[in-house]
Amino acid sequence: MIQIQGLTQQFSNGRGIFDVTFEVEKGEVFGFLGPNGAGKSTTIRHLMGYMKPQKGTAIIHGFNTWEQQEKAREKVGYLPGEISFLDGMNGLEFINLMAGMQGLKDKKRRNELIERLQLEPKTPFRKMSKGMKQKVGIVVTFMHNPEIYILDEPTSGLDPLMQKVFIDLVLEEKAKGKTFIMSSHSFAEIERTCDRAAIIKDGRIVTVKNINDLQYMQRKIYDITLENKNDVEKIKESNLIIENTNDNVVRIVVQGDYNELIEELSKFNVINISIISQSLEDIFMNYYDTKVAVK
Amino acid sequence: MNISLFNQMIKLNMKNFLIFGFGSALYVVLMTSLYPMFAENAEAINELIKIIPETLKNALGFDSLTSYGGFISAEYFGLFFPIILGVFSVMTATQLLAHLVDKGSMAYLLSTKVSRTQIAFTQALVLISGLLFIVLLTFLGGIVAGEMLIDDQTSLEFNTFFHICLVGFLLFFVVGGYSFLVSSLCNDEKKSLGIAAALTFIFYGLDMAGKISSDFEWLRNITPFSLYNPSGIASGDAEIFIPSFILLGIGFFNYSAAVVVFKLRNLPL
Ligand SMILES: Nc1ncnc2c1ncn2[C@@H]1O[C@H](COP(=O)(O)OP(=O)(O)OP(=O)(O)O)[C@@H](O)[C@H]1O
Ligand SMILES: [Mg+2]
Repeated sequence: MIQIQGLTQQFSNGRGIFDVTFEVEKGEVFGFLGPNGAGKSTTIRHLMGYMKPQKGTAIIHGFNTWEQQEKAREKVGYLPGEISFLDGMNGLEFINLMAGMQGLKDKKRRNELIERLQLEPKTPFRKMSKGMKQKVGIVVTFMHNPEIYILDEPTSGLDPLMQKVFIDLVLEEKAKGKTFIMSSHSFAEIERTCDRAAIIKDGRIVTVKNINDLQYMQRKIYDITLENKNDVEKIKESNLIIENTNDNVVRIVVQGDYNELIEELSKFNVINISIISQSLEDIFMNYYDTKVAVK
Repeated sequence: MNISLFNQMIKLNMKNFLIFGFGSALYVVLMTSLYPMFAENAEAINELIKIIPETLKNALGFDSLTSYGGFISAEYFGLFFPIILGVFSVMTATQLLAHLVDKGSMAYLLSTKVSRTQIAFTQALVLISGLLFIVLLTFLGGIVAGEMLIDDQTSLEFNTFFHICLVGFLLFFVVGGYSFLVSSLCNDEKKSLGIAAALTFIFYGLDMAGKISSDFEWLRNITPFSLYNPSGIASGDAEIFIPSFILLGIGFFNYSAAVVVFKLRNLPL
C-alpha cells in the first residue's frame, strides 16, 4: 500500500531524513516512532507530496507521491502534526470546506464523528483549545472514509478519555481493512493499535519490527517498595538489575524477562509497584546502543 | 478551480472586498460632490495652479482640471485609486498563498485530491474577483454621483468613465499578478508582503519620476503604471486598446507563472 524507498531530504542545516526505507501492507497499522526532531513529520510530508525527495521515492497505491501527488492523496486521510486552521472560520465551516474539497456529499459519518468526539463544531478556531482543534482535525481525516490513514501524532492534545475514543476509531477502521501509518514519540501510545513499527532517530531508520518484538525489547523501570527494609539487601543479591535503592524503595530495570522479577519479588512483602515513565531512547536504550556500537 | 474553496475564500475575504470597494466608491462620490464648488472657483484655482511648476502639473494631471473628467481622473483615479487598489492587491495576494503556507493551513488544503494547480488557480480567481468587485463598485459610484451631481454639459461620458475603470482594473490585474507570483514564491508571509509592496512602490515611483522629468522619461517604459493614464483617457488623448492588451498579457503571464511555481516548489508544511 505504501512503499518508501531510499527517501532522502537534507535541509540546509544538515538535518533531515536519510535513506528512509520501509513498506506498509494493506490492512496494517504501522507505527512510526521517534524522538522530537527525528524526521517523522518530514517523512510523512513526503507521503503527502509537499516536498520533492532529493533521493528515493515514496509510493502510495501505486502512485508516486511527488509526481502524481493528487492521485496518491486521493484515498488518503491526513492528520497534520502541527494543526493550523484558516483564521476567521469556525469548525463547522472548515469541516464543510474540507468535505467539499474531498468531494464528500454524505453527512452521516461526519455527524457521527462530531458526536463521538463530543465536538462543538460551531466554535470559532480562535476560541478552541488544542484538544478541540485536534478533534476537528480527526473529524476531517476520518469523515470521507479513506483507504489509507496518515496520522502525524494523532493523540496530541487529547485527554485520556478522548484518546480511548480515538483508539476505538482506529481499531474499527482497522477491522474494515484500512491501512494506517501513525507517528508518535511514545511507544505506549502505539502499542495498543499497531501491528508493526519503525523507529527513526536522527533521520535514519533504526529498526522495523513487529510490535511483539518491540515489546520484548523494551526496557522498563519499576520502583518497588518493600515493607521490610532488610529485604532490600536480600534483593540486591539476586540477578535482577538494580539501578539504585532509596530507603525501602528499589529501582529495578527489566528487559524482556518478567518471570525472574516475579519470582524474586514473591519472596518478599511488596507494598507498592510503580512504573517509571521513560523516553523512547531510554526504553530502547540497549537497541540504540548496540547500533551505535556496531557503527 | 475548486468551487468549495472558491466560495469559502470569497466568504473569508468578503469583509475586505466590501471595505475597499465601498471605501473607493464613497471616495469617488465625495470627490464628485466637491467638483461643483471647484468649478465655481475655477479661475482662482487656475491662478493658484500657475504657481506649480509645469512638470509637476503634468505628473499630477493638474493641467486638465477645468473639466469634471479632468478633475476626477487627476484627483481620484490618478491618486487615491492606485493607493487603495495597490494596498488591496498586495495584501490579498499575500493572504491567499504565502500566509497559508507560512501558517501551515495549506497542509489541509493540500490533503485532498485537489491538485496544487487547482488551488493556486482558485486563489488567483479569488484575487481577481475581489479586484473586479472593487472596481465595479467604484465605477457604479462614479456613474451615479456624476449623474446626480454634475451638469450634463461638463459630465464625463459613460464610455470614457468605463474606459478609465477598465484600464484601472487591468493595471491592478497586473499588480495583483506579480504580487501573487511573489506570494507563491515565499514561505514567509512578511517577506511576501514586503517584496510585493516594495515592487508596487517602485513601479509607482518610476512612473512619477518619468512624468516629472523628461530626462527620466525612459523610466516609464519599465513600469506598468505608465500604461494607465486616467487624465489622458478623460481628455480623449490616450490610447486604450494597446495598453489594455499589454496589461492583460503581463497579468496572464504573472498568474500563470505563479501557478507553475506553486506546483513545482517544495512547501515547508
Ligand atoms: N523545512 C525545514 N527546513 C529546515 N529544517 C527542517 C525543516 N523541516 C524539518 N527540519 C528539521 O528536520 C528535522 C526533523 O524534523 P521533523 O519535523 O521531521 O521531526 P519529527 O520527528 O516530526 O519531530 P517531532 O516529534 O518534534 O514532531 C528537525 O531537526 C527539523 O529541525
Ligand atoms: Mg513532527
